[in-house]
Amino acid sequence: MSSAQGKTEVIRAPQAGTAVLTPNPLQSERVFRLLVESLSDYALFLLTPDGVVASWNPGAERMKRYKPAEIIGRHFSIFYVPGDLEARKPENELRMARETGRHEDEGWRLRKDGTRFWANVVITAIRDTDGQLLGFGKITRDVTDRREAELRYRLLIDGVTDYAIYSLDRHGNITSWNSGAQRIKKYSAEEIIGKHFSQFYTKEDAEAGLPAKVLHTAATTGHFEGEGWRIRKDGSKFWSSVVITPIRDEAGELVGFSKITRDVTDRMKLLEKIQHHADELEIRVAERERTNAELEAFSYSVSHDLRSPLRAIEGFTDIVLTDYGSQLPEPVLGLLQNVVQSATRMNRLVEDLLNYGRLGRIEIESAPVSVAAAVKAACEQIDENLRDEIKSAVDPSFQVSANLATLTQSLFNLIANGLKFYPPGQKPHVDVSASREKGDIVVRIKDEGIGIEPQHLERIFQVFERLHGDQLYPGTGIGLAIVKRGINRIGGKVWVESKPGKGSSFFISLPAA
Amino acid sequence: MMIDTEHKPVILLVEDNSFDVQLIQSALGRTPGEINLIRVEDGDKAVDYLAGISPFDDRETYPIPITMLLDIKLPKRSGFEVLQWLRSQGGPIRRLPTLMLTSSKHQVDINQAFERGANAYLTKPDSIKELTSLMGELKTFWLKRVEMPEVKR
Repeated sequence: MSSAQGKTEVIRAPQAGTAVLTPNPLQSERVFRLLVESLSDYALFLLTPDGVVASWNPGAERMKRYKPAEIIGRHFSIFYVPGDLEARKPENELRMARETGRHEDEGWRLRKDGTRFWANVVITAIRDTDGQLLGFGKITRDVTDRREAELRYRLLIDGVTDYAIYSLDRHGNITSWNSGAQRIKKYSAEEIIGKHFSQFYTKEDAEAGLPAKVLHTAATTGHFEGEGWRIRKDGSKFWSSVVITPIRDEAGELVGFSKITRDVTDRMKLLEKIQHHADELEIRVAERERTNAELEAFSYSVSHDLRSPLRAIEGFTDIVLTDYGSQLPEPVLGLLQNVVQSATRMNRLVEDLLNYGRLGRIEIESAPVSVAAAVKAACEQIDENLRDEIKSAVDPSFQVSANLATLTQSLFNLIANGLKFYPPGQKPHVDVSASREKGDIVVRIKDEGIGIEPQHLERIFQVFERLHGDQLYPGTGIGLAIVKRGINRIGGKVWVESKPGKGSSFFISLPAA
Repeated sequence: MMIDTEHKPVILLVEDNSFDVQLIQSALGRTPGEINLIRVEDGDKAVDYLAGISPFDDRETYPIPITMLLDIKLPKRSGFEVLQWLRSQGGPIRRLPTLMLTSSKHQVDINQAFERGANAYLTKPDSIKELTSLMGELKTFWLKRVEMPEVKR
């Protein structure tokens, strides 16, 4: 009521409509009564020492629905709910007010129509100058809305079980505790409220002064966010993700902190697992790189060391044939020819195997390649005598994402194959064509040769797979394997369709560029 | 073989594989033009030869060559090391035309050879026929076409 001083000019009687100012206004009983009557949000009334209602303001009427005539003279216990009456609450409250001068309470109260509202009640003992109890002043506020909001808020906070939400005073002592906090940290509210939050930290973190540091950070920057190990009641550890926000009063004074903690141990473990896998992968890659380097060194020495004796075999046999051929009997000449042929074949085998091996290891860079240009380059490598037997009809605008050298090598192998597998004596012929199919360009290399039995179609792309003796159709058995590996490495596909006796068609499909 | 050294141009062949030496010798013999092929079998000996270190200090027997055929993979000192040593010498010997003759077709080797100052990079042909024609070409080109630098002190 003292706060009303200095605000007199705004005080109006509800019905009067005009400001009432007397020469000594604040001491006027009338002004005081007007003030009381203007407080429509407060029920403000007097009780006799026994608790009988002695006055009634419009706020009381509005809140409790009784008219002054209906209520004045009745005992105030009429406002209490049956449970409170049984607990003798009205008497107790008056006693408390009498003993301490003032009693404050919140609880359900009844309106005239029997409906309830949540009331904030202050009962003040009124005494005369001798200390004689004259009665009680009672101020009641309807705070049902606030209570509901608080209740909703509390239910909301408490309903959050995945997050520990709790508050600290400004020293770090726990002042509230939700069910999520209980679930995550295993302490009940009763056990933990009033304790310092540093007990959740590991010994090392606590000794390092981390709890004080995080509060300091939150207080000075307005926010703290972090992750770390925390300890549950049972001593077990969990990896937490924490957000701390300072709570300040209207004056900006720090009153405490709100703290939201999440148990992200699973995520941490997942991350650790991923990290572990990543580390392992790195080791594997390093191993693979080492293996690749070893293989590279191996293939280097194969090409250098393995081939030099072959060169010697071939060279010396050739010298014998050239320089002494005339002195040798015919069968010896034939046998020596076989030696030369074998050495030549061995040379080609080594060369093909090296190419095949290298295709598996090296980085092959893809770039837009003209199919027609690759076909042309492949044809130029074909034996001059056979080149006229190739008919190529490729749209010059067709571009694929590929590596020119790899594609050319593959096309050469397929064209050479097509020309090779004809019955002896028959003139070979190969058609090269290309078509666009969705996002791919499909190149077809078609012959009308001996064809392939269906049961062999799978095998022919494997290393050293040969379907014929080398007398009739010489070869290393690596050519198609090189095609398959090479085309696969540049993101394409290879397949074959064939009819025995009619011919075969090999297909290369590559993404159009 | 030693008698005519002063009249025949000398080619120094640095090659550890005796069969390859024999084949090269044979190929050279099949082509016109007299050549004195002197062979050393490792990198250290090649350096000793070019530096004139005993027993190669006798320039009557071991004359300064007009060109060197150098393998890469050699015992003791590799062909690259010999090449690097040669090109870093103070005297006119560093001008010696040097042709790599090897079985390696690796691009890295080829690049490195030229970076270190090789004048050509040749791979050993697979057949004696090709080897013979290669040796013929070498003789024609390096002994007849190319204007040679002074390499003697």
